[in-house]
Amino acid sequence: MIPLNYNLRNLAVRKSTTASTALGLALVVFVFASALMLSNGLEKSLAKAGREDIAIVLRTGSETELSSSLTKSQMDLVVASREIARSQSGEPEAIGETVIVARMERVDGSGLSNVSIRGVPDNVLHFRPEVKITAGRAPQPGTNEVIIGGALRGRLKGLELGQIFELKKNRPMNVVGVFSAEGSALESEIWAGVQFIGAAFGREGSVSSVRVKLISPGKFEAFKASVSNDPRLEIEVLTEPVYYEQQGANTSIMLKSLGLIIAVLVSMGATIGAMITMYSTISSRQREIGTLRAVGFSRASILSAFLIESTALALVGGAIGALAALPMGFVQFSTVNFTTQSEITFKLQPSPSILITSILFGAFMGLLGGFLPAVRAAWMQPIEALRD
Amino acid sequence: MSLALIGLRNVLRNKFRMTLTVLGSITAVLTFITMRTVIVAWNASVDYAAQDRIIATNKMSLTLPLPKRYIDAIRNVPGVTKACYQSWFGGKDLKDPKNLFRSFAMDAACLEVYDERLISPEQKQAWLADRKGAILGDLLARKLGVQVGDRISLKGTVYPGDWQFNVSAIYKTKLPSTDRSQFLFHWDYLNDSISADQKEQITWIAAKIDNSERSAQIAAAAESLFEEKDIQTSTMSERTMNIAFMTQLGGVLSALNGVSLIILFIMTMILSNTIAMGVRERTREYGVLRALGFLPKHIVRLVLVESMLIGAVTGALGVGLAYPLVERGLGRFLTENAGNVFPRFQISPTTVVVAACAAIVLSIAAALIPALRASRLSILDALRRTA
Repeated sequence: MIPLNYNLRNLAVRKSTTASTALGLALVVFVFASALMLSNGLEKSLAKAGREDIAIVLRTGSETELSSSLTKSQMDLVVASREIARSQSGEPEAIGETVIVARMERVDGSGLSNVSIRGVPDNVLHFRPEVKITAGRAPQPGTNEVIIGGALRGRLKGLELGQIFELKKNRPMNVVGVFSAEGSALESEIWAGVQFIGAAFGREGSVSSVRVKLISPGKFEAFKASVSNDPRLEIEVLTEPVYYEQQGANTSIMLKSLGLIIAVLVSMGATIGAMITMYSTISSRQREIGTLRAVGFSRASILSAFLIESTALALVGGAIGALAALPMGFVQFSTVNFTTQSEITFKLQPSPSILITSILFGAFMGLLGGFLPAVRAAWMQPIEALRD
Repeated sequence: MSLALIGLRNVLRNKFRMTLTVLGSITAVLTFITMRTVIVAWNASVDYAAQDRIIATNKMSLTLPLPKRYIDAIRNVPGVTKACYQSWFGGKDLKDPKNLFRSFAMDAACLEVYDERLISPEQKQAWLADRKGAILGDLLARKLGVQVGDRISLKGTVYPGDWQFNVSAIYKTKLPSTDRSQFLFHWDYLNDSISADQKEQITWIAAKIDNSERSAQIAAAAESLFEEKDIQTSTMSERTMNIAFMTQLGGVLSALNGVSLIILFIMTMILSNTIAMGVRERTREYGVLRALGFLPKHIVRLVLVESMLIGAVTGALGVGLAYPLVERGLGRFLTENAGNVFPRFQISPTTVVVAACAAIVLSIAAALIPALRASRLSILDALRRTA
C-alpha cells in the first residue's frame, strides 16, 4: 500500500488548487446541509407540538382542525371514554378548541400574513404543561385577553405585549402575555378564550377539535375503538404526533424536494470540479506514478491511493461546508404551511445525522469525481509514464 | 500572432480539461436558470393576474365565509360590470388523495367573469343544463382519466361525504399562466346539499370592472359598503391579492435567491481552478514572453482573454441547453404534475441575459488572481519554474 501520508501531503503542496476545489465542494455541502436543516426544522417544530399520550379528535374527512367542526354533543360523547386520564377532581383531561385563520398586517409593511388563532379553554395551560408564559401574564378567563406565541411577537401589527388588535369591528383583543412552547409550531399561534372566539367568529356551540390526554399512550387503540364504534359520531381519531406530521407533510415535501433537486444539480458541477483537479494532479505527477508502478506498487494500490486523495479533499470541503451551515441554525425561516394555510415560523434545525449525511455526501462527490482520474493513473504503462 | 489568438490556442491546449470545465460550468448555469425560472414562475401569478378583476373576501380570513346576499350590493357598485360568487370546496380524488387540485362551486356568471377559461358553446350549454355538471381543466381531466359525459365522485374535505358529478365540460385556457387543473361545479348543487347552518354562504366574490386603472377606487367603494356590517370584506384587485399570497412564501423565495448566488460562486471556483492550473503549467512560457519584451499587462490580457472565451462558450451552451432541458423537460413535467403551483414555467429573457452575462463577468473575475500572479513573477523565477 502507498502510505496515506503521500497523498495528504500532496494536497498540501498544491494549496490554491486544493483550496478552490474544496471551497466549491464546501459550498455544495453547505446548500445540501441547509436544505436538510430547513425541512428538519419544520418537521421538528411540528413534531414538538405533538405528544404521544394525547389524541386529537376531528370530524371525519376534515384533515385539519381548520376545516373540522364538532358539536357540543359529539364532544360530550368523546370525553365520556374511560381511556381518558382524569384530574384530581375527577374531571376528564380534555379540551375543546376552535381554530381559525386570520389575516393580519406585517409590521415591516410587506403585506398581509395568515395567522392561526386558537380559541382555548381556561385550563389549557394545565393541559399543555410545556407551554410557559415568558412575558406578561396568563389571560383572565372569559375576557378578551389573549396570549401570543413567541415566534409572532413583534412581526405583525398589534402583536406585542400591552397592545390591542382588532380582527373584527368592536371586538378588540388585548395582548397580555407571550408564551413559549419548546420551539414548537404552537409558537406561531395566537391563543384567545374559546368562548370569545366562538362569539366573535360565529362558532358558538361547536369546536374545531377535541384533544384528550390518555391514561397512557398504549390506550390509544382502545380509545379509538371506544369512540369510533358509535357511527353517530362521524369522527376521526389520531395521535397528536401523527396529526402534526400530516399537517407539515406537503410543505415539508416541497422544501425537501426543492432542496434536493438543487443539491443534486450543483453537486454535478462540484463533482466535475473535483475531477478536473484530480486529472491535473495525475498528469503532472505522471513520472511519479510511473516510478511507483516500476518499483512494484500494484494497480489496485495506485487506484486506491488516488481515490483516497480525492475523498480526503472532498472530506475537507464537506466538513467546512457542514460546519459553515451550523450557524444557519440561528436563522429564522417563515413560510406558508400549505395544509393549514397559515404562516409558520421556525428555525433551521441542525442534527448530528444531518452533519454526517452532508459530510458523507461531500465525500461521495469526491469519490465519484476521483474515480475516472484514479483509473487512468492506475492503468498507466510504467515505461511510457517514465519516458515523458 | 496576436495575443487574442494565443489566448484562443491556450484554451484548446488541454481539450479534455477544457471540456470538463465547460461541462461543470454548464451545470451551474443550468441550475441557476432553473432556480430563476422557479422564482419567475411563482411570480407569474402576480404578473399575469387580471387587472380588471376585483375580489372580495371575508376581512378576517380567507377561510371564513361571506353571506351570499353581499353579491347584490357589489353588482351595484359603479364601475362593476359583472360579478359572480364562488365557494371553496376542497374536494379530493377518491383514488388518489395526493393529487392536489383546486375545486370550487360557482354560479354561472363566473364563466364570464373568468373569461380566460375557454369552453365550447355546446359544453357550456350542457353544463348549464345539468345540476350536477362539472367543468374540469384539460390537464386535470387527463390526469383523472375522464372525458365529457363521464361520471366522477370527489371526497369532500370541507363538506363531508362523497359527492357525485357529471363531467359536462373541459376547458382550455387563453393565457399560459391560467391554472389548467381546476374543478368547477354549480354552487346551487352545493348549497342544496349541505346543512342549514352552512347554506347561503360563499368564500369570495369576483367582479369585472370597466376600468382597470380605477381598480383601487372601485375596490375601496365595494369594501365601504360593508364597513358597518357585522361581517366586513376585504376587497382588492386580483393582482394585489396574489402579491399578498407571494409574500407568504417569503422565506422560500429569499432562500432560492441566496442559493442561486451560491451557484454562481461555485461556477467561479471551477473556472478559477482551471485557469490557475493552465497558468501554472505555462509559467515558463510567460517567462519567455516577458523575456521577449512583452509587458506584465500583456500577460494579464492573455490570461483574461483565455478565461473570457471559456465564459462565453459556457454561457452560450448553458443558455442553449436550458430551453430543451429546463423549459421543455422540467417545465412540462411541472405544469402537468403541479399545474396549480406552476401553471406556466418558461425561461424569461431577463434570466437568459443575466445568466449569460454572469458567465462572462465571473470568468473574468475567476482569472484575475491567476493573471495578476503570472504577470508579477520575475522573468528569472518564471523561467526556472518547472510545473
